[in-house]
Amino acid sequence: MHFSIFRYNPERDDKPYMQDFHIDLVLTDRMLLDVILRIRDSQDDSLTIRKSCHEGVCGSDAININGRNGLACVTRVRGLREPVVLRPLPSFPVIRDLVVDMTRFWKQYDSIKPYLVNDEPPPEKERLQSPAERDKLDGSYECIMCGCCTSQCPSSWWNPERFVGPAGLIQAYRFISDSRDRATGERLEDLNSDPFRLFRCRTIMNCTEVCPMGLSPSRAIERIRLRMLDVQGHGGGLALHHVPTIR
Amino acid sequence: MRATFTGLRAWLVQRASAVYMLLFIVFFLAHFAVDPPHSYSAWHAWMTSSGVRVITTIFFAALLAHAWVGLRDVILDYSHPMVFRVCLLVLLGFALMAVGAWIVHILWMSRG
Repeated sequence: MHFSIFRYNPERDDKPYMQDFHIDLVLTDRMLLDVILRIRDSQDDSLTIRKSCHEGVCGSDAININGRNGLACVTRVRGLREPVVLRPLPSFPVIRDLVVDMTRFWKQYDSIKPYLVNDEPPPEKERLQSPAERDKLDGSYECIMCGCCTSQCPSSWWNPERFVGPAGLIQAYRFISDSRDRATGERLEDLNSDPFRLFRCRTIMNCTEVCPMGLSPSRAIERIRLRMLDVQGHGGGLALHHVPTIR
Repeated sequence: MRATFTGLRAWLVQRASAVYMLLFIVFFLAHFAVDPPHSYSAWHAWMTSSGVRVITTIFFAALLAHAWVGLRDVILDYSHPMVFRVCLLVLLGFALMAVGAWIVHILWMSRG
């Protein structure tokens, strides 16, 4: 199988280049990450990629595969259009090869206060939440912060320092819809008062299309807008959708 | 920058103006389908009848507000140096106000 992989080592290279690799698939090559690691081990051990769980829950190996962001460890390698073009996540600074600097991404996440804000004295056991209230978190708590969505969002490309981005916003929605949180007003005000934080979103929906967990940041952002208008959503969380296969 | 024209307000203005414009356009086309004017003076009489003149003025106010929000969004997205952005927004504001003044003149002050 023919792969064309983005290479860049700032210590050695003046600029990035694409390197071709050819490798015969073996029986155990099910996912793209399997093949990338075999290429690294057998042909060029300087090839660099982040990876950890190898099962689609940590989000470390988010890369751009034939133009679409996805997780290498859950992308089936057979059936990919050849040459398979692998690039780092678009618009994030490249540290080396397929590894990008996620500092800005995490800064946006921190800015939405991704923790429960509740100054009431803690009850003896835990802050209670009914099953119906817990259901409201469905479709947003599952986010693994892989960066696929934010890296594919044109509004994030044009204003990465000021637009929170789909990942930050779906996490903001997770806390806005948490019945135990007492800072809903402040959260909504924060996202509204600066027209760059949320309202750069043009509902382009690249985020929803590439989310490897089947989440819908577009829908979460719409729900936040409705909450700003004091329209409570019709209970329940956000639906997950089928993740399109990367070709 | 500012604090009054928040994201939510702009977004609402754009959608509310779109709804009004849609209703107006449907009404306008329906009128021409059902009861088309057969001469310039008939058309003029209809357009300058007080009801139609008022809702047409509101239509253009909605159009200008809609255009302001839309173009402001584009300018905010793409132009980053602050001075440049402010200049563009000011030019846009003046251009839209000029168009607005011209529309008011046509609808309310000219004779035919």
